[in-house]
Amino acid sequence: MANAARQRVPVADQDVEPNADQISWDFGTSAEEYRKLIHYLPVALWQVDTRGVSAPFDRLKAQGVTDIATYLDTHPELVEHAKDVVRVTAVNREAVSLLRGNSAADLVGPVRYVYSSTPDLAKRVMVAHFEGRRNFFEQTRIAAFDGTSVDVLFTVTYATPSQELDTSLLMMIDIGERLKAEAQLRQLQADFTHAARISTLGELATSIAHEVRQPLTAIVTNAETSLRWLAREDVTLPKLKQLTTRIISNARRAGDIVQRIRGMAAKREPGCASLDLNEVVDEALLFVRHDIESWSIDLSARYGTHLPKVTGDRIQLQQVVVNFLVNSIQAITQGSGLARRIELATTVDGDGSVVFCIRDTGPGIADENLERIFDSFFTTKGMGMGIGLAICQSIVVAHGGRITVSNHPDGGAQFRFSLPPGVVDQM
Amino acid sequence: MSKAALVAIVDDDDDVREALSDLVLVLGLECCAFDRAEALLAEFVPGAFDCIVTDARMPGMSGLRLLQRLRDLDASVPVIIITSDADSTIRSRALEGGAHAHLVKPIEARVLVVHLESALAGKWKGSPNG
Repeated sequence: MANAARQRVPVADQDVEPNADQISWDFGTSAEEYRKLIHYLPVALWQVDTRGVSAPFDRLKAQGVTDIATYLDTHPELVEHAKDVVRVTAVNREAVSLLRGNSAADLVGPVRYVYSSTPDLAKRVMVAHFEGRRNFFEQTRIAAFDGTSVDVLFTVTYATPSQELDTSLLMMIDIGERLKAEAQLRQLQADFTHAARISTLGELATSIAHEVRQPLTAIVTNAETSLRWLAREDVTLPKLKQLTTRIISNARRAGDIVQRIRGMAAKREPGCASLDLNEVVDEALLFVRHDIESWSIDLSARYGTHLPKVTGDRIQLQQVVVNFLVNSIQAITQGSGLARRIELATTVDGDGSVVFCIRDTGPGIADENLERIFDSFFTTKGMGMGIGLAICQSIVVAHGGRITVSNHPDGGAQFRFSLPPGVVDQM
Repeated sequence: MSKAALVAIVDDDDDVREALSDLVLVLGLECCAFDRAEALLAEFVPGAFDCIVTDARMPGMSGLRLLQRLRDLDASVPVIIITSDADSTIRSRALEGGAHAHLVKPIEARVLVVHLESALAGKWKGSPNG
């Protein structure tokens, strides 16, 4: 779409001189037809004469230089030299259009302009060339002639030594639209996660109201008790001090709960902190404790000791655990089983990753649904949101982890996620 | 002076239980606190308490089931049920189940005093200053 808006410039056919030796497949067409084919290919092509670096490369090889990357780091003048002596000999019309040139003449000559906004790219192209690789590719941004820059997939195909040619073919594919679409997708995903988090909060609103009312009740009652003591003749200072202290600690308790809710609802980029998974699980339990109690569910938590820290976003991981817990509670309360039990555990896996595991005594998951359970909008619940587990999966994957589901041999569903141990130097 | 009326407080939340117990004590009543309904039932004999104030939602046995168990035991002890949400179904179930009153957290002391007075019917008279 961007190409359509760009100025199309007619370029003479003789700008591209395809070398028949480079094109080994045979369409039964003439060299002239190849020339036309290349000229009108919807991919930007540069034919590059690399003879200028042959002599320096041969010299370095004769000197026994093998680590060319390090050599070029200490001899940047060779890279600068190459940008002048390596020359573009032909381009096709898409190349002119991509870089917003006026004509092919703008693009023919020393290759220096290609690297004007990414000086290190030239070095990497030279390293691959020196090491005798067939291809080089990189996603990068190239400066166009109108002062803008273009996101491209940049590839170089080198001639093989056996071909004894000094011609490389440089190709650029415009990926601006793709990158824009990806950015929009990421934004959409962030909005989606935010929406899911808010609706999870909605489901848990009763639970949270209950959590806040407990300290409020304690505050009001302690204050009323203080007033009644003050009206009595046998009032003592220690008694008043005790009541006032309780008021303060309950006010703090209420404040902490509000703080956590704000944290759950806050929309922000994923944080990157060194976390103790046990703490994350503990905090998540706050949001469902009330439901677990009011449904008389027996909860057992086995916390692994000396777990390695994991690196990630506290709130997001909390959300995963809360989602799992809400699922288990719903499975148990909607099922008909007599046992009402949730078992959760944290452990370290054989490969050092940190594992969270939850199992419930609900009806389990039908075999045909096991495959689809992490799909967006997949739900078997009449009132379910259906995005909970999809979000859980994307959060865990974004943390470099894995999420799995299975049915326990003794019944009930079993969810598990593992996270790679975090970097220790943050501690 | 006759023995002060004894009120049982049942609430799983430590802070709320402590606060309610102290309020009952400052009112000049005797108090006995339990963190679960099962704990109260384990000690229960008819006539042991003059009034029971219980939270509705607790781990294990709920306040409503406690009320039902007490009625099954043919105990006529007045029960005041406290909830943290103004859920009308709990209210009607509580009152239908024979609860003396249903209160919503946070509770106003003067309201609790009014209900305690009527529950304890003559055994206790609340102070007018609240």
